[in-house]
Amino acid sequence: MSRRFLTSMSALAVAIGLASGQVKSVKTYTPPKTPWGDPDIQGIWPGNMGTPMQRPANLKDRALYTDEEFAQRQEQARKQALTDTQEFASENAKVSIGPPSYWTERGKPTRQTSLIVDPPDGRLPPLTPEEQKFRKEARGGRGVTGEWRGEADSYEDMNLYYRCISRGLLGSVIPVVYNNGNQIVQSPGYVAFRNEMIHETRVIPLDGRPHVGSSIQMYMGDSRGHWEGNTLVVETTNFTDKTSIGSNGAGYPGDPGHHSAALRLTERFTRVDATTLNYQVTIDDPKTWTKPWTILIPLAQNSNYQMIEYACHEGNYAMGDILSGARAQEAAKSK
Amino acid sequence: MLNSSLFATVAVLSLAAIPASAQAQAARPKPNLNGIWEYIGTANWDIQDHSAYQGPLQDLGAIGAAPAGQGIVEGNEIPYLPAAAAKKKQNFANRRTTDPEAKCYMPGIPRATYMPFPFQIVQSPKDILMVYEYASANRAINMGKPIEAPTDTWMGTSNGRWEGDTLVVDVTGLNGLAWFDRAGNFASDQLHVVERFTKAGNDRINYEATIEDPKTFSRSWKISVPLYRRAEKNAQLLEFKCVEFAEELLYGQFKKQTSK
Repeated sequence: MSRRFLTSMSALAVAIGLASGQVKSVKTYTPPKTPWGDPDIQGIWPGNMGTPMQRPANLKDRALYTDEEFAQRQEQARKQALTDTQEFASENAKVSIGPPSYWTERGKPTRQTSLIVDPPDGRLPPLTPEEQKFRKEARGGRGVTGEWRGEADSYEDMNLYYRCISRGLLGSVIPVVYNNGNQIVQSPGYVAFRNEMIHETRVIPLDGRPHVGSSIQMYMGDSRGHWEGNTLVVETTNFTDKTSIGSNGAGYPGDPGHHSAALRLTERFTRVDATTLNYQVTIDDPKTWTKPWTILIPLAQNSNYQMIEYACHEGNYAMGDILSGARAQEAAKSK
Repeated sequence: MLNSSLFATVAVLSLAAIPASAQAQAARPKPNLNGIWEYIGTANWDIQDHSAYQGPLQDLGAIGAAPAGQGIVEGNEIPYLPAAAAKKKQNFANRRTTDPEAKCYMPGIPRATYMPFPFQIVQSPKDILMVYEYASANRAINMGKPIEAPTDTWMGTSNGRWEGDTLVVDVTGLNGLAWFDRAGNFASDQLHVVERFTKAGNDRINYEATIEDPKTFSRSWKISVPLYRRAEKNAQLLEFKCVEFAEELLYGQFKKQTSK
């Protein structure tokens, strides 16, 4: 209890510093109110890509880039944005099977050196011995499905993102290369948090009701919210152990990865100025990580951003193609 | 008809006569559609009148059978053009593998409203969300200046407005790939749906939709269903992420065959 309190306090201190762009005296922003008196956090809040989950080790306890480093990152982003607008690849450019560059929505760089703001070194806490064993032995030693190395015996060889099932709660918010839209709509007693990819909406009750029974498990978990001052605090439990934490919730190598069904997430939504919503989440899963850790994603309001239906499964031609391609290769080999 | 236009005229006259009450009228709160709603009936099997019938898989026994039901189509007739009428029959015959619901595809509009799953309306003074338990489908209804559909989608682009106490939602940009029911009733990408949500007491919404699609139907037609409030104290949307229930149907043929 006291440990969790201290964790959230230190993360909050960092959060305030980050939001103002640099550590300086803190002015408290008072958000507008809804007609029924709740703080108003409504709007379209897309995420900005480019901050790594974990801090490069050489930066140690430095949570923010210096002015000079930040200017460099802005310059890089400007050049990247120019490249991104090209409709056609330039001659001799390396072309891959990824989406065309003009699809990308990288957003603006931030001063944050990592999404992880606690522990203070910006690095994940160690895995429990139990989880290390699980990951090593998963799928007969082939690792969790995100570490996909081309196996295509069945759709079950692919991760949940490739299968278009869900990116999980955090995977649906952690910014990636496109479709980073988030929308918040409030009504008396509820806050709805809608994520563009893969079309998720959590309608979060604020009436203090208990969680659903423990035998109900959900990819997006079961969320309950309440206001602490101007901060919306959402506690989520009842997760499956099938989703992963990190980019697209896919469990790619290097991501925080697989978690257990004991996962408990505490999200804090705080408007720190008219156009910034700090989204801070504490990840507490004692079966997977030896202590809780906290990430911070500043979301920037963009009322011009239009969320577009992401019909992932409906357009998942890749799944049939990958599997049928593998069968065709096997047939050719056996001839 | 006559009564309502007479009423409107009287209302307009009295507003003109008393500006203060006109202001009160404008500021009058909109009907509150917040809540978790669900239709009770058999429209998801067939929006037209139907007797009970065997399901597409006899292995499921009576569990897979369709219950009998009275239709939700005004006059019970769907005015298909001749080629479309033939396609509907074909859809029904092949429904086990071609019904978009069997594949866990998004339900489209209007089917999302009367599927046997709850949906939640989150209504703020600015925006209205409709969140469906089935397939995590959802849509935002734009209550501001109407926007043009940016592209065709399963759930379409919804522009809403209030007409008196009725929420009217104009849905365009539908890709026409969703069906109306398991009986194979369908439309094309020319589909245009105008929905009307009217509160009838605290726990019911009367839902109407006018459907037009000149590529598929010879005239516009109308459906209507009541939506009931899910009144359980702990009512909430759960998850029906059905992709994993459809994968064997969709991709099972491409799996590696083991000789076991």
